[in-house]
Amino acid sequence: MNYFLKYLSTAPVLLTALLSVTSGFIMFINFIYPDPLIFPSF
Amino acid sequence: MISDFKSSFSSFFNTKILKTISFVSLFSLSFFFQTEINPANADFNVLTTCKESPAFQKRLNTSVKKLENRLKLYTPESKEAIALIKEIEKTKGRFERYGNSNLLCGKDGLPRIIASGQWDHANEFIIPGLLFLYITGWIGWVGRKYVRYASQTDDPFENEIIINVPVALAIMTSGFLWPVDAWKEFVTGDLLASDDDVTVSPR
Repeated sequence: MNYFLKYLSTAPVLLTALLSVTSGFIMFINFIYPDPLIFPSF
Repeated sequence: MISDFKSSFSSFFNTKILKTISFVSLFSLSFFFQTEINPANADFNVLTTCKESPAFQKRLNTSVKKLENRLKLYTPESKEAIALIKEIEKTKGRFERYGNSNLLCGKDGLPRIIASGQWDHANEFIIPGLLFLYITGWIGWVGRKYVRYASQTDDPFENEIIINVPVALAIMTSGFLWPVDAWKEFVTGDLLASDDDVTVSPR
């Protein structure tokens, strides 16, 4: 289990996870607030 | 004696504080020596507000008409029709948002970003720019913090390729005050490496 967790902590695995989360976050923001051209004035 | 004077003068001139002072003073002098004060709001004669631009309205009507023509090809409750209806609503919403904001459009009906720094168009460049710098600064600052942490561990090479996730997550979440941390480190002299640690090619 320890070795598995160590594998999951390697740079390529973490990079894949981080980029997936980041892109998912950006897609979500574009879903709730589409076509942002300028910063919205609330 | 001349070489002594040269080396002491160069070491004085190379101090970080003197560099900072010279940069700040040159920057402020450039404002003092401006011969012409530019008006706060530039007069854009060739641009009109998008709401009042006929070409902008024409673009909206053309886009919606194209989508409505495609909608006629599908049965009303099919998923293609639902997707096209969503697209029409999205298009109308987009044009309404751009029209309601302070955006200026050209003769082609396309909005323009005014990046001159005036406050009535701050939403277009200044605020997104500052937000971008804040976010990228956060990323860079926490990355630097982790690398400096890794260099203090028993095996820095391994800690750079097999990340210590709990420590990394803690460092990542602590990055929101990075401008304050960076200023603190600059003031205490921890931000920059000392000149002794910087290798220089033989003169």
